[in-house]
Amino acid sequence: MPFFQKLHPFTVLSVAIAIVAVTTAIGNVWVSLAVIVLCLAASAFAGKILKLVALSAAIVLPAFASQLLIHGLASSGSLKLTAEGLSTATALGLRTAVLVVAGLLCALIIDRHQLVAAIDLSKAPPQLGYLVAATLFLLPQLAERQKIIGEAQALRHVHFRRGIVGWFQKARMQAVPLVLSSLEETSKRAPHLAARGFPANTRMSRLRTVPDSRVQRAIRVSALVLALIGPVLILIGLQFGAVA
Amino acid sequence: MSDKTEAQQQSGVDLKLRGFKYAQAKQPILKDLELALRPGTLTVITGSSGSGKSTLGAILAGMLPRPGLDSLDATLVVDGQTVEHTAVSSPRIDTSAWAQHIGFLPQDPGEYLSGIRETVKEELVFSLENRGMPREMMEARLQSVVNQFGIAHLLNRDPAKLSGGQERLVALAALVMNDPQVLVLDEPLAGLDSVVRKAVLKTISSLTMTEKTVVVLVREPIQLSTQADEVFCLTDNTLASGIRTGAPRKVDDAWTKVEAYARPTSEILLSFQTVSVGYGKNSPPIVENFSLDVRAGECVELTGPNGSGKTTLLKSAAGLIVPMRGNLSRNGKVGMLLQNPNDQLFERTVRRDVGYGLPKGRRSASKIEEVLEQLALTDLSDVHPYELPMSKRKLVALAGVLVHEPDILLMDEPEETLDQRDALTLGSAVQTHTDSGGSVLLTVHNAKK
Repeated sequence: MPFFQKLHPFTVLSVAIAIVAVTTAIGNVWVSLAVIVLCLAASAFAGKILKLVALSAAIVLPAFASQLLIHGLASSGSLKLTAEGLSTATALGLRTAVLVVAGLLCALIIDRHQLVAAIDLSKAPPQLGYLVAATLFLLPQLAERQKIIGEAQALRHVHFRRGIVGWFQKARMQAVPLVLSSLEETSKRAPHLAARGFPANTRMSRLRTVPDSRVQRAIRVSALVLALIGPVLILIGLQFGAVA
Repeated sequence: MSDKTEAQQQSGVDLKLRGFKYAQAKQPILKDLELALRPGTLTVITGSSGSGKSTLGAILAGMLPRPGLDSLDATLVVDGQTVEHTAVSSPRIDTSAWAQHIGFLPQDPGEYLSGIRETVKEELVFSLENRGMPREMMEARLQSVVNQFGIAHLLNRDPAKLSGGQERLVALAALVMNDPQVLVLDEPLAGLDSVVRKAVLKTISSLTMTEKTVVVLVREPIQLSTQADEVFCLTDNTLASGIRTGAPRKVDDAWTKVEAYARPTSEILLSFQTVSVGYGKNSPPIVENFSLDVRAGECVELTGPNGSGKTTLLKSAAGLIVPMRGNLSRNGKVGMLLQNPNDQLFERTVRRDVGYGLPKGRRSASKIEEVLEQLALTDLSDVHPYELPMSKRKLVALAGVLVHEPDILLMDEPEETLDQRDALTLGSAVQTHTDSGGSVLLTVHNAKK
């Protein structure tokens, strides 16, 4: 079993929350950079580094560019790059990057089936498990349906051009059947899901086991305490430092 | 009358249906029918596609009428408890609690599966999980049902990647896992190979031995008719009772005819040379070293058990999957009818759907009309495809394929969901296609004798 599969999803999430909260409170460029490097190392260990870099870049680069535009170029009223503006944009951009990279890392290393099972087995209301399951499985189901529609369209000799124009043409031609067939499927499946007791109105049980241990539980509690108290202590410390 | 018989009379299900009408329908789809289902009995209800079998199944399962939409006038007695529906009001039914008395397997088994479980094993225990059954009890029940259905080899598979027959078998096993007193099965044998079919028939018999009530809804009389306690025929919106079929009739008469149409000539239109196909580079091939030549004027059947890779081969022939190894050559235009017609329907009317993908113009319009007439769909050309029964939907999907005038016609389990009349229409279309020099490659789960 891969290392991250041995961890309870809540352990991974609580550690990530603690890291993001503390790093944001510290607001130090080097700490932020160190956390990002740590996340990249963890993703490399899980064999997901390329995905993490690509997804993070898609979100972080536009965000960083907008920070640069606001603080680095346009803050003084004239379009001039200043050291102060650049420093502010870098600090804010890296804070965003920590949040994005850590969040995406969680999404990549946590098995969605394990996460739903963990929620189902927790004391959370059963409706939460349903909500998370519906959200997490919607996109893969839509992707699968889109693939089937694409195949059926190819069989009907509907071909799309290459490039961005073709992409838009494909999106337009597939959107309507995708929505209609998804609605049809949902309406057909819903009564059977209800007949099978879903969503549950009592505490659920699961055949799937979610690995957990006393150590992991202790880590989770510590991480959540750190996420709550850490930023407060850091901010108080920074205040005292500024006064002194 | 003995005490046991009295108890049996009180338990079970009694339905007295005066009328059922779908929302916005002008005429009732069911009317004036009575049904008494007793424990330990098997009832077979036959009827052509669109006769209202699935509607009857959904009424028994408490899924119809939809509140505020459909109109049901009926009295339903389940285990001594009476549920009264009138044309203007129906009590709201807790379908989850109801399903523990009456379980319903729909015609499309994919609708029964949750779509949110990673493995077949988890899908099977889905209902039990929702009821909070302890894991040890779930495992014991799972073991018993898995042995009963012989599906141990499927337990760790992804339910979304099963073949059509395997999906039906898993859905049936999931229904049995829920342990309802009454099981209503809509086309439980469709798409199953002979081995699995025997296992399901045996399971149905064993269910009745354990005092379960089984209702089977089928298009054509099946082997079960001989061992059924009662056989009904749903015709003219009502049940004609006591119709026994005697010896089971061959369901696939129309198809044996199709085979006779084969008139091979020398020209090869489709050729597989030691082809291996599968899904993804990292997965093992599903079919290895497959060789076959399909010639003009020829109709070739691919047979094999459920999950043996028949669909994969057809998809590779259609160009949807690139073979891992070997040579696959096509000498002509390819058209393919998918196993589930719903995957092939895109438009809001039959006519528009058939013309989907064709260039606009007079030639296309006349071609559409020609194909609609060929498949006896002209009267339905302005209907939404999703409003049609499955059998007709399959013909609509086929019309959408034929209108492109393929040389090589690929059909995945075409006889599944087709009723007798539509099967003959399809057989006639295949004959026309092979007569005009085209070739047909089709899959069936059982070889025709």
